[in-house]
Amino acid sequence: MEYSNPKIPEGINTTVEHPLKEFFILSVGILGIIFCAVIILSLAAEKLAVYVPFKMEQDLIPEIWTQTKPETETIRQTREYLQSLSDRLANYMQLPDDMEITVHYMDEDTVNAFATIGGHIFIYQGLLDELDSENALAMVIAHEMAHVYHRHPIIAMGRGVVIGLLLSAIAGASGDLFVSQIVSKTGMIALLNFTRDQEREADITALTTVNGLYHHVAGTNDLFRALMATHDPESIEPPLFLSTHPLTQDRIDALVEYARKKGWDAKVDLTPIPQYLR
Amino acid sequence: MLLTTLEYVPGKTINKHLGLVQGSTVRAKHAGKDIMAGIKNIFGGELKAYTELLQESREEAIERMKEQAQATGANAILNIRFSTSSITQGAAEIYTYGTAVILE
Amino acid sequence: MEAYLEIIIFFVLLTLGYVFGQSLEKNHYRSIIKRESQLRSIPVIASKILPEEFLPCQTEMVSGNVVISVDYFKKFVAGLRSIVGGRMASYESLIDRARREAILRMQQEAKRLNADYVFNIKMETSSISKGSQNSIGSVEVLAYGTAIIIEKDAVKQTPPKVSISGNDAAAINFRTT
Repeated sequence: MEYSNPKIPEGINTTVEHPLKEFFILSVGILGIIFCAVIILSLAAEKLAVYVPFKMEQDLIPEIWTQTKPETETIRQTREYLQSLSDRLANYMQLPDDMEITVHYMDEDTVNAFATIGGHIFIYQGLLDELDSENALAMVIAHEMAHVYHRHPIIAMGRGVVIGLLLSAIAGASGDLFVSQIVSKTGMIALLNFTRDQEREADITALTTVNGLYHHVAGTNDLFRALMATHDPESIEPPLFLSTHPLTQDRIDALVEYARKKGWDAKVDLTPIPQYLR
Repeated sequence: MLLTTLEYVPGKTINKHLGLVQGSTVRAKHAGKDIMAGIKNIFGGELKAYTELLQESREEAIERMKEQAQATGANAILNIRFSTSSITQGAAEIYTYGTAVILE
Repeated sequence: MEAYLEIIIFFVLLTLGYVFGQSLEKNHYRSIIKRESQLRSIPVIASKILPEEFLPCQTEMVSGNVVISVDYFKKFVAGLRSIVGGRMASYESLIDRARREAILRMQQEAKRLNADYVFNIKMETSSISKGSQNSIGSVEVLAYGTAIIIEKDAVKQTPPKVSISGNDAAAINFRTT
């Protein structure tokens, strides 16, 4: 009996293919598929979410928002001022009857304002500090109200649920932390297009509303300009308002152009902001 | 190529032992099947997708082992064993090995 | 900005993983092939039954193990691969290297014992740290078998027996090394 250990050729138990080739095919393919899936699901969510009755949206909000909280005189005064401004704007926005806007005032330094489900709008003192006139403030509130009017918060929520499920399913299957991060980042980038479109839509509605209230559009871009000027877009931490509201020069230009086309006046004295907002 | 888990082939003489030959492969199913298997996991029962995955992998591992044996000039593989390990989540790693021999 | 930083770190890790992983793998394969040809004199056999002509002989258990880690690049590609399914080429070479290295270490131990053959080899593969998503992907291979040390003096005195029971009876090509 002869025993020997002959040489076995290489490459039988391994795949002979350049690793970079596999890398490129897989990453381009997968990211492309995710991108498309996110866009398709977003469109579907957008079309379906508007059929959710506003009443149901109101039922979804946490109870704490609707409770009356103890507040100081200044806070109450500020909140009521913001609420009345929003009520005045609501007359010019043709909000459906059941769509009720509640303004919440947050006495915090965060430079932010946002709208959420159930017609609740949050405005922070940090943002008020950046404002020079009531017109600029009206633009911010009208912008957030326009989000509610266009049902953006519920659309975002529906989309968030659907896409969150999709992405976590895909990411879970990969079993690798960084792959799942890349997957969710791609999803976010795909979503960004939608948020940009929503911002534009809200901007135009807000501008129309502000023009309805004041019969001019002066000062509406002041806040955006001020934020752009004081905060370097490359800085590590931009104001929160800018990260939730992707703001570009294009957007300001679009607003100016829209007002010009409509023949709305942009050079009028501004309404001053009440002193207690300082 | 004769494959067997026996130490010898009844009625045949082994002319030459050619050492160890091995075949292995690592394979995964696509995310959709993983998700379905995850759902199936709630109810229990056979996970068809994974049965299929392991079977495909095993066949490929055997193919590769046979290829190695052919390269050494053997005409049979004796004493074949399998082992399965999970190198990463959702992927099956199948390994098979045996002794390549030349039968009379 | 933070997002850019993350992307940069990711690409740096990926590049590092690719460059170092590939060069390590290349060097490892080169060394495996070299040592395999050096140790070819000790055949590794999966059979359990010893031919009687080896008697008298000493037996000794020998084993070799190795833990090899996957590089960042391979791990990432494997992660992508598990989404679409199919053959995970990046892990195949890893496990192939680990197996061959473990067998080589076992053979080296056999060589130290002046063994002539290793019989009844068995392999054990386990992944040490899997499960949690961020853990290190690595594979452990243990190869073990029985080293056969033929007592040379004894062998030389007895001429090789031809009539052995069973199937291995005929055609014994006896080696004395």
